[in-house]
Amino acid sequence: MSNNFLDYLLRIRLPITVFVVLTSFAVTYFISRAERDGVGYTPDQPIAFSHALHAGQMGIDCQYCHTSVEKSRHASIPQVATCMNCHSIARKDRPEIIKLTNSYNSGKKLSWERIHKVPDYAYFSHASHVNKGIQCQSCHGNVELMDKVGQVNSFTMAACLDCHRNPEAKMPYLKSVNKGPDYCWACHR
Amino acid sequence: MSELNNNNDSHKQQNDPHYWRSFEELQNDSGFKKIKENEFLEGVTKDFDPNTDINGVSRRKFLALLGASAALAGAGCSDYRDKGEIIPYNKQPEEVTLGLPNYYASTCTGCEQSCGILIKTREGRPIKVTGNPQHPVNKGKICSKGEASILNLYDPSRIQYPSKNSNGFLNEVLWTDADNAVISALLTAGSKEIALITNQITSPTFLKLISDFKTKYPTTRVYTVRQFNESVRKAAWEKCYPGSQVPLIQWDKAKVIVALEGDFLGKEGNLVENNRLFVQNRNVDDVKNFSRLYAVEGNFSLTGLNADHRFRLRPDKQTEFVLALTQYLVASKGVQLPGSLSSLASVISKFDLNKFCDENGISFNDISNMASDLVNNRGRSIIYAGSALSEKTHVAVNLLNEILGNTAVYNTASSAVELTQPSAFSEFETLVSSLNSGNVALVMTLDCNPVYNLPEDLGLKDALKKSGLFVSLTEQLNETASLSNYVLPINHNFESWGDAQTRTGVYSLMQPVIAPLYNTRQKESILLNWLKGDPKNYDERGYHNYLKENWAVSVFPKSMSLASFEKYWLGSLHDGYNLFNEAPVFKLTLNAVATESLTSIETDYQGFVVLITEGTATGDGKFAGNGWLQENPHPVSKVTWDNYAAVSYKTSKEFNLKTGDVLEIKSEKGALKIPALIQPGLADNFISIETGYGRSNSSVVANGVGYNANVLLSKSFTTSPWMFGSVAVSVTGEFRQIVSTQDHHAFEDEMIADQHLKRNIIREATVAQYMRDPHIIHHGGHELHTLYADHEYPEVKWAMSIDLNKCTGCGQCVVACNSENNIPIVGKDQVAAGREMQWIKIDRYYSGSPDNPSAKLQPMLCQHCDNAPCENVCPVAATTHSPDGLNQMVYNRCVGTRYCANNCPYKVRRYNFFNFREHFADGYQLSPSFELIANPEVTVRSRGVMEKCTFCIQRISDARMVAATENRKIKGDDVTTACQEACGTEAIVFGDMNDKESKISKLREHNLGYHLLEELNTRPNVTYIAKLTNTYSEEV
Repeated sequence: MSNNFLDYLLRIRLPITVFVVLTSFAVTYFISRAERDGVGYTPDQPIAFSHALHAGQMGIDCQYCHTSVEKSRHASIPQVATCMNCHSIARKDRPEIIKLTNSYNSGKKLSWERIHKVPDYAYFSHASHVNKGIQCQSCHGNVELMDKVGQVNSFTMAACLDCHRNPEAKMPYLKSVNKGPDYCWACHR
Repeated sequence: MSELNNNNDSHKQQNDPHYWRSFEELQNDSGFKKIKENEFLEGVTKDFDPNTDINGVSRRKFLALLGASAALAGAGCSDYRDKGEIIPYNKQPEEVTLGLPNYYASTCTGCEQSCGILIKTREGRPIKVTGNPQHPVNKGKICSKGEASILNLYDPSRIQYPSKNSNGFLNEVLWTDADNAVISALLTAGSKEIALITNQITSPTFLKLISDFKTKYPTTRVYTVRQFNESVRKAAWEKCYPGSQVPLIQWDKAKVIVALEGDFLGKEGNLVENNRLFVQNRNVDDVKNFSRLYAVEGNFSLTGLNADHRFRLRPDKQTEFVLALTQYLVASKGVQLPGSLSSLASVISKFDLNKFCDENGISFNDISNMASDLVNNRGRSIIYAGSALSEKTHVAVNLLNEILGNTAVYNTASSAVELTQPSAFSEFETLVSSLNSGNVALVMTLDCNPVYNLPEDLGLKDALKKSGLFVSLTEQLNETASLSNYVLPINHNFESWGDAQTRTGVYSLMQPVIAPLYNTRQKESILLNWLKGDPKNYDERGYHNYLKENWAVSVFPKSMSLASFEKYWLGSLHDGYNLFNEAPVFKLTLNAVATESLTSIETDYQGFVVLITEGTATGDGKFAGNGWLQENPHPVSKVTWDNYAAVSYKTSKEFNLKTGDVLEIKSEKGALKIPALIQPGLADNFISIETGYGRSNSSVVANGVGYNANVLLSKSFTTSPWMFGSVAVSVTGEFRQIVSTQDHHAFEDEMIADQHLKRNIIREATVAQYMRDPHIIHHGGHELHTLYADHEYPEVKWAMSIDLNKCTGCGQCVVACNSENNIPIVGKDQVAAGREMQWIKIDRYYSGSPDNPSAKLQPMLCQHCDNAPCENVCPVAATTHSPDGLNQMVYNRCVGTRYCANNCPYKVRRYNFFNFREHFADGYQLSPSFELIANPEVTVRSRGVMEKCTFCIQRISDARMVAATENRKIKGDDVTTACQEACGTEAIVFGDMNDKESKISKLREHNLGYHLLEELNTRPNVTYIAKLTNTYSEEV
């Protein structure tokens, strides 16, 4: 074995091999983290709205704001006017409420950061789930305890199917529950 | 199969027709065999050539690559957890629930019938149009043009701002500039004429506005353009029944219908209503009351396609035919002429039906049977002459109906209302001469295209240049607008207020469902603005208020409503129409003087006769820019994206023609080069051309498609404006490919050579056979065995049935499916390669001789087989079976092997060879406005995936959601598929076959129900109801 060849092995082959192995490992690790599915994602919102205060402490029902959750696919983010039902009087002087009032009065858009998302090709319906008695918390976690909302559960197809196949285990609070559908066109079309 | 055919005589007869779909198939052409052997046409799969496709990078592709790289780089560096933003409404409109559609009632302006429509909107954006189910005339159905009119709203070729024409360039101007120019022209007109050229007005309020306009500007004259109208029929009616209007026909009351070149199912009158009434007597559960349709025609029309007996006759011979028939009825069938018509006896005495039939190659025996039928059904039959026939034919037909007592079939309870009449050519001649003498201060064209639609020899095109000022109000650029000084863009009817009256006692309302997409105004507002003469204070609600005021004054009092006007108005807006008491006045007393006009009839034309008809897809050219309609195959020829000169089989042999050979047709007025199409069943020495094609200066879709046949027309005509003789026809030697969908997707069946014509794809019997033997179509059936366990369908199981007796082949289902399921337009080149994407197609099979074949129709879509052959072969399980009986296609799993399409015996799978949205017309369907049309509940498919009919899974899912909210199980009735909703004759029934009480279960068990290729044991969930032909038989 010539020195040249050893030199080549050590200087070129080895680093490349090590690099490829490390990169593959890093990429695989990175992709397969639960965080990659969005778990733990807690972005800053344009207005520091606290669910813990409104839904937890004051006990406002989820549907006071998320009005279409029983009727439609989308739970819907409340219109600014809904906030103003109370905040045209309540806590008008707080900086966050001033932001809200400004947006309401000027008609300028209020862009909330999206936290929970299923891909476009999955047609999830809130109404179908909520009307079967499934609680919001089963997917979204204890939002009423969160000052700043983040994603608690994974929103992958595996997570959906996990629940569809073992509803009794996942939602023990339901007295009688059927298995959810697990054929393709239940969600994709 | 062979024992099957020898079973008994009646069955042999049933199997007799050898169905062929084209001449290539009939003649067993080797090329056609090759087509059938291969799943795809030659070259279809060889499109991508890396040498040319990669080296020849176009500017467009370069930019696309640049953009993609930038996007990729951007995406790589972005926060991967960012999921975008959610922007809620500031103040949400009360009626909007995110994710749920709203429906608004309005009125269609596709043609002069003004049907009531229901517009489906999502978050304020119209996505689908259907008929208004409560509307008294069209009852929930509209024609394919109405369905497709939503595409015109989002058409990127719409004019987006007002502009001024300077030397052929359109420069953007302000509305006020244009308004000022027009108003000053109006005010300084003095004694000079102000010419207002419009399409036929059906709106009473717009008519009032025009009369106000006339009061302010007294030299205004109104001209109405409607190229295909009922002027000849009306003139003949006036001769026979003076002072009375043409009545509607109650097609459901007629047991025997004789259509003379009259396409009442395809082109004439209110098609939606005609189709609905016609199929009332095509009910398989009431075969005793089946009607019988005879068609005597030169062209092969949709009505002819549905006829029980069809005879070929050139349209110029129709007068002679009707008179000879009358003579025969009187002389041989004992029909008495009424006293008032005794003078007719001498007129008809010179005709001899037997001789006429001999001369024209019609079987006298069959015609004689038809005569017996007419005699046996006096007062329950109707003879209907087509709009394009001569006045004398219409007079003769009116008289014959009178003699047979068929006036009982006329509808005397309600009638059509025409607020304005199309202007005669003589009126336009007067306009042209005043234009030429400089006596016209201003010409306005309102939503019409006279330069294209009127005969060139009127000289309007050149005369318009001599107008003081010429402005065009139009949605899209056209031949007329490109000549005008100002081009003013107008709103689509989905952005407009309006009303319409086309029927006695019915007013329809039109309301906007979206704010104008561009800087456009509705034409009525523009006129109102000019009437007020104050362009600075333009009020976009002006016409809304005007409409409301007019309703308060002239409609509300008629309604006898006890509510306040405001409530009445809102109620009418909600319903989309309003009813009040108004009965038509009919004087059905015949004026016997009419017979005088029949003493001499037109002499026969020598040589070829040419008939120009309205385009099935394009209308009079208005819909030429509509890709859905252009790509919807012609109901008879199955040609897309073209018009053609249809010639008969015999004529083609004489000229040694094949389809696509370009003919030159010279009339007295013009010459036209147009490719020929061999149309089986056409009359000999006869050419039929559809118009509405060959547009120029129009949208990217319309320009250069087909040929403008209007150049052959003349202002002076002898029999009717659309029919003429004395033409010279020559073969040019040029060739142009005509693209039809008919040879594609032929069924592969070489393994049972020569039996393939008898595979019972269409099963049929005559009514008499069926009454004798209710099980006639099931003799020699198969017993199907399987090794596998059946699928389980615990809850609902979806199924569809299609009644071939009710399907008239109009193609509404195809357009509705396009709209519902985001199906792309692929363009002529791709249809030529067999890549049309429509999920439902209507197959048309000829049988008999190519000279006079009979034709059968069959809508074909995914059969959702229980044992689906496609499912077994997919290597990635992208197509699977659902527990509610659907054959699921999952786009994300599909890797595009196309095995499934290969293994599908029905050839209903469609493959995305390209991203067709990008591919067609340089990304036309990717323009921002076009994206608004997509149904948000259906995935937009991209390149490389297979797709097919889903039984409207989005509607099923919606119904499931509603059932969940109501805490019940889903029912079969909860779902209406888009094709079912659109089907004007309710031939399509959809539902749950596990529910034994449902309509669909009963149809599946029906004696006439059959499944396609059931010997393959695919167990389809689509049931066809076999076609019954009501041929003449002695015992009926």
